[in-house]
Amino acid sequence: MRLPIASGVATAAVASTLYPLFQGLTWWWTGLGALLVITLIGVLASRYTVPGWLVPPVQIAGLWIYLTAVFASGEAWAGLFPTRESVLVLATSVADGFADIQRFAAPVPAAPGIMLLTAGGIGLIGVLVDLLAVRTRRAALAGLPLLTLFIVPAEIVTEPIAWPAFILGAAGYSWLLVADGHERIGHWGRAVLVRRRTAAGVPGTTPLRLSGKRVGVTAIALAILLPALVPTLAPNPLFGFGVGGTGIGGGNTISIPNPIVGLQGQLQLPQNATVLTYTSSDNVPRYLRLWSLDLFTGEQWTMTAPTGMAENRVDNGALPAPPGATAPIQTRAADLEISISDSVNNMQFLPLPYPPRNVEAEGDWRADQDSLMVFSTRDQAGGLNYRVRLEEPMPTRSALERAGPPSAEIADRYLRLPRDLPQEIRDLADGVTAGQRTPYDKAVRLQEWFTTDGDFAYSLQTAGNGNSALVDFLIYSKTGYCEQFAASMAVMARILGIPARVAVGYTSGTNTGGNVWQVGTHDMHAWPELYFEGIGWLAFEPTPSGSLGQGTARQPDYTRPAPETSDTGTQDDTPSATSSPEAGGAAGESAAPRNPRQLDREGTLVPSVTAEEEGTSLGVWFAAGLAVLVVLLIPAAARRIMRHRRLQAAGRPAPRAARGTAVAMAGSVADRDGPVTPAGMVSAVVAELDDALYDYGMERQPSETSRALARRLSTQHGFDPEATAAISRLAVVTERVLFARTPGETGPLAQDLRVLRRALAATVSRGRRIRVALMPPSTLRRIRGLGGRILDGFDRLENLRVRRPERRA
Amino acid sequence: MAVSHDVGQLEDLVTTAHRIRQAIESVIEGKTDVVRLTMTVLLAEGHLLIEDVPGVGKTMLAKALARSIDCPVRRVQFTPDLLPSDITGVSAYNQQTREFEFKPGPVFANIVVGDEINRASPKTQSALLECMEEHQVTVDGTTYALDTPFMVIATQNPIEMEGTYPLPEAQRDRFTARIAMGYPKPAAELEMLDVHGAASPLDKLEPVATTAEIKALIDAVRAVYVSQPIKRYAVDLVTATRQTPDLRLGASPRSTLQLVRAARAHAAMEGRDYVIPDDLQELAVPVLAHRLLPSIEAQGQRRHPEQVVADLLRRVPVPDARPEAGRGGAGSGR
Repeated sequence: MRLPIASGVATAAVASTLYPLFQGLTWWWTGLGALLVITLIGVLASRYTVPGWLVPPVQIAGLWIYLTAVFASGEAWAGLFPTRESVLVLATSVADGFADIQRFAAPVPAAPGIMLLTAGGIGLIGVLVDLLAVRTRRAALAGLPLLTLFIVPAEIVTEPIAWPAFILGAAGYSWLLVADGHERIGHWGRAVLVRRRTAAGVPGTTPLRLSGKRVGVTAIALAILLPALVPTLAPNPLFGFGVGGTGIGGGNTISIPNPIVGLQGQLQLPQNATVLTYTSSDNVPRYLRLWSLDLFTGEQWTMTAPTGMAENRVDNGALPAPPGATAPIQTRAADLEISISDSVNNMQFLPLPYPPRNVEAEGDWRADQDSLMVFSTRDQAGGLNYRVRLEEPMPTRSALERAGPPSAEIADRYLRLPRDLPQEIRDLADGVTAGQRTPYDKAVRLQEWFTTDGDFAYSLQTAGNGNSALVDFLIYSKTGYCEQFAASMAVMARILGIPARVAVGYTSGTNTGGNVWQVGTHDMHAWPELYFEGIGWLAFEPTPSGSLGQGTARQPDYTRPAPETSDTGTQDDTPSATSSPEAGGAAGESAAPRNPRQLDREGTLVPSVTAEEEGTSLGVWFAAGLAVLVVLLIPAAARRIMRHRRLQAAGRPAPRAARGTAVAMAGSVADRDGPVTPAGMVSAVVAELDDALYDYGMERQPSETSRALARRLSTQHGFDPEATAAISRLAVVTERVLFARTPGETGPLAQDLRVLRRALAATVSRGRRIRVALMPPSTLRRIRGLGGRILDGFDRLENLRVRRPERRA
Repeated sequence: MAVSHDVGQLEDLVTTAHRIRQAIESVIEGKTDVVRLTMTVLLAEGHLLIEDVPGVGKTMLAKALARSIDCPVRRVQFTPDLLPSDITGVSAYNQQTREFEFKPGPVFANIVVGDEINRASPKTQSALLECMEEHQVTVDGTTYALDTPFMVIATQNPIEMEGTYPLPEAQRDRFTARIAMGYPKPAAELEMLDVHGAASPLDKLEPVATTAEIKALIDAVRAVYVSQPIKRYAVDLVTATRQTPDLRLGASPRSTLQLVRAARAHAAMEGRDYVIPDDLQELAVPVLAHRLLPSIEAQGQRRHPEQVVADLLRRVPVPDARPEAGRGGAGSGR
């Protein structure tokens, strides 16, 4: 009887973690209704011992009737029983639901289709849990369907699930396990051998249940507290499933790099925070690149660890020559003065225009030879002011069209594609660029396809339906944001034999007057860089720009198709992309209201690097180690403080007038600064003595009097006369204060305590002494006691419930 | 009662008690603990039961104590044919006065030595009951008060010996303490041979204290302070004997009284005017054990009441200044 209810409650508890997916509470009530129906059937089936195999079909039938009654009562017979029409209605609703799910990002509105899917899903999970936990008595296995339910919000939503919801879900499952254990033991029957004095012969399941609950409560508490306490995880909210991880929503995993650890601080910046400002000598806006992602794994773009050799330090003069720029091409030189905001944390790559030739920055900044990323493993860019000189290639169309095939080295690195890349994409790339001869023409055509006639829409609410996200984006949904655009264009360029990589950084930002440009967190961006032999790497911009796209994105001149240079920005759904990017209009565009969730998505766009983490996170690890050390030293510190206070108390006997309360047992150490009553003093002495003995592993028996203790210690450990006198004095004063009519003269005892402590310490090994200093056992005992009391408190809380009068057989 | 007065009395007590103990120990060699316990019982106004095999000096101890105090001492040799009137006294017809005249029995003394008390019939044994508890004798409807101090020192052979009637529980309960003499150590026995070889040292024993002095000492003992925690500890100990499954019969409330009284005397002999848990711990076995009946299980495991009491002493926590929580954590041994 208890088990079906427990399984229903557990499912409901876990289902409550779905809350971030929906708007409103309708889903909860409909889902709860489904669960109620299933639980009711389960309870009745248990009550009348229906065969187990029969229950799930009955439950599914019940669920069907329930869904019909709720969602298609108009067509149902008597508003309840399914008819042909009602089935059709339900089917339509389901189709609508799937479509809605495609359309909306979480939290989704309470559309009937979605509600139907939700209630049905929860109901089916409920049937499964009931089947596993109640019918086949595998309560632990029932955790699997529950986990499935639990994973859904964790997978879809970037924000972590709130910890109370987690507690609820975990507690529900724990209760299911406890109920299962209870029934199991209840079937053992009565104990045969019972002591004469025990009242009844009923086997006590209570202690077992209690310990089960204790284990559950402790595990849940640990699961919640530990991540919060471990310092490296501290910046993450609790339960950061997919925190910062952009591998969310089955569909868009393809091109999304993992977060770099060092960027977490930046992610936490307020939404509109300024990341940097720069002035440009020619007042031309430029993209500022942080990372260059050169590896495509088939799932996502990441980068090989950059290598910063000593000779490539930026103070050593010019940076390495831009790779591939061998042909005599006209370049445009410009100087940028960039200042990074103070509030930027953990930025260890400098945002730079490409290609930088000279960087003047304080600190140990080094350039990666191949990608010209400038980074440091020691210094932070936050608050940094630096100058960069760049020589921007101004390739002519003819030069680009003449570009030859890439060198073997470049081709090997930047043309690599995973073997299982779907054929559809290869076909698509070829189809789009059909008729274009040179790589450059193909590249320009690709960008044009993305921005103009490819029918792509810029949206942060992207969803996939389980197929390859790349295929989904390119062929079906055609909806995405800069990540998808940049990544897809890079992949397609590689398919077409153009070396490509994905750059991640910032767009040129907005002009704030004069030639000062301001770049904020909103301007974070990704774009593809394509390689042309002789000219080098050139940025392309497939992402739609303007108010319906990436606000401050702009297309370089060389990427525009030859004849109609001026109207490339115009697209079906991007009415007026800015064609004069330098104009002040850009400021207005980026200031346009934006959905916070979009910003969040945008913020997650950070590349991953594996080897590099060691360098950047050295400080994090150090801090973490330090924090762990601090946490470990807390017991020792607590012990020291406590001893100090007790010694203070023991060293400050009260004046004669304040005495007379000696009879009072265990008087507390009165106020901290005033004189201490003898009772308070003795209580401090006894407590300190107790802890010291426990620390050194000579625990005092509860029946041992202070005199007997003194005798035992001095004979057993061969104390010297001084220590013997000290402990005898302590014993006599203690018993006089506790038991005599008047306590008499009690001198300060702190010195005696110190002598005794030294004598005790001398009797144990060095290892034990170190342990006592670092991890005092007495403090640990106190912590254990505290934990025990907390658990006792839980038990008492539980015992508050109204008890049924016990039935006696 | 002023503190200084107490202290002065206590000093007297310590020296007098020491004198008496020295006197007794000149006769009984190497039995300091036994002698001390004897003195404790005397000062606690109790009665002492000395139980051991024949010939270890039970009677000698009793006589030595009696003789070192200058007071009337009577000795009764209990035999199977001893009658109650042989103890309490009889009313005899005086032909001259033509009246019944009470002839006081041996209980009319300050110290009564009852030798081999378990050889007498239960009827005779119980004649001692009233005297011991109420310090009075009733013969033929007339009640005669006994002198103070009044102390019965009974010796008995272990009950397994032939020709013995076990002492009834009620009577055992009236003895404050039971002690066993034990065989002397070889060295002490050797010395005994030298001393006792020539003449009985008992003959040379001179009284070292008067009745008045003993009365004053008893008063001083009554003034010894027993704090509330100590009283609670005594009650805890006695309660534990009633609750342990090892015992069929626990200790009586009378034993609580006598335990605390003996603890007072014990403290006073150490010159303390307050009782500490150590006093109770030292006296618990001799004061409690002889009143207890082991359960069948304990008998099966050959656990004597002495052992049971010693175990309880190890289990019952002593009162001290430790906070309850700390003691709970340490005591429960989790």
